[in-house]
Amino acid sequence: MPTEWKLFADLAERAGDKHVTVDASAGDTVGDALEQLVADRSELEERVLDDGDLRSQINVLRNGTNVLVEEEGLETELKEGDELALFPPVSGG
Amino acid sequence: MSDLRLDATQLDRYSRHVIMDEIGPEGQQRLLESSVLVVGAGGLGSPAIQYLAAAGIGRLGIVDDDVVERSNLQRQIVHGDDDVGRPKVESAADYVGALNPDIDVEPHETRLTADNVATLVDDYDVVLDASDNFGTRYLLNDHCVLTGTPLSHGAIYRFEGQVTTFTNERGTESDTDSPCYRCLFPEAPEPGTVPDCATTGVLGVLPGTVGCIQATEVVKYVLGKGELLEGRLLMYDAMDMTFETVDVLSNPSCPVCGDEPAIESVEDVSYEGSCEISAD
Repeated sequence: MPTEWKLFADLAERAGDKHVTVDASAGDTVGDALEQLVADRSELEERVLDDGDLRSQINVLRNGTNVLVEEEGLETELKEGDELALFPPVSGG
Repeated sequence: MSDLRLDATQLDRYSRHVIMDEIGPEGQQRLLESSVLVVGAGGLGSPAIQYLAAAGIGRLGIVDDDVVERSNLQRQIVHGDDDVGRPKVESAADYVGALNPDIDVEPHETRLTADNVATLVDDYDVVLDASDNFGTRYLLNDHCVLTGTPLSHGAIYRFEGQVTTFTNERGTESDTDSPCYRCLFPEAPEPGTVPDCATTGVLGVLPGTVGCIQATEVVKYVLGKGELLEGRLLMYDAMDMTFETVDVLSNPSCPVCGDEPAIESVEDVSYEGSCEISAD
């Protein structure tokens, strides 16, 4: 079963959509799903990754939980039906 | 009894507060004795200033160095058409004066910098960040962490908003460590990475919703009532009309509130670019 990414703020514009489905599934990692998300989306890749590493201001959620703080980061294993999200800081006031 | 300190006009003005058990005359008195600094009198600051003034926050500071432009009026509802060209702090102060004579409004027509942040912030109980740029946001975060000042954070982008509350209470027996903005976003995006409102546009009513949530949080904080957005980031999407909350945990490697913070003073940081610690 494929995995859905939800993208916030300018990340959605760079991806061309708020919701993107990738092939990564149970047993793959969050990093695998991220790799598939940014493949063929160079504007998004540039915003999210810096030399292949996740930029520090980009947060990755799995079912609403921050995988960088509460789980195993990009090594976190996906489970069936997981929903992933990426959100950046915004500054408008 | 403290309720005797509210005069007849105040008992009338705040009667819908006073009648509620959660607020009562004591709570209203707390609001009247409190002080809040609103940084930014724009989209977020407008509704925040209006509701804080209406609620009877006794001393209300407003920081902004801009003048009102006609293109602001679609969302910055504390200003009117006749205010175009006036300093925003003056226009906002006039609004507050007309709304509620109980409020001592203190306009600060200046830009917040590392040099003046202590002078401006340390005189207030709570800070409400309604600024429009990462430099000011990181500066306010760092100063409020270092001084233990409660900070309401709100920020917007086109149709989306982010809002959370940092009590900055650390090391007390009753509290687990409170997170800060850098726990979530250690460094700012490089300038130009995230386009601003002037470039992308913004739904006029969006900052109304987000600024009202910030004002709600500040009022609750002053009253000591309810559950704050402490440790939670609320993400609002006006197009989908969804609210999602994400847990925000304190990060032991946070550069300002972590176990071994690199930032011990706002002088350590250049609040430009990525707002990271200065190389020297």
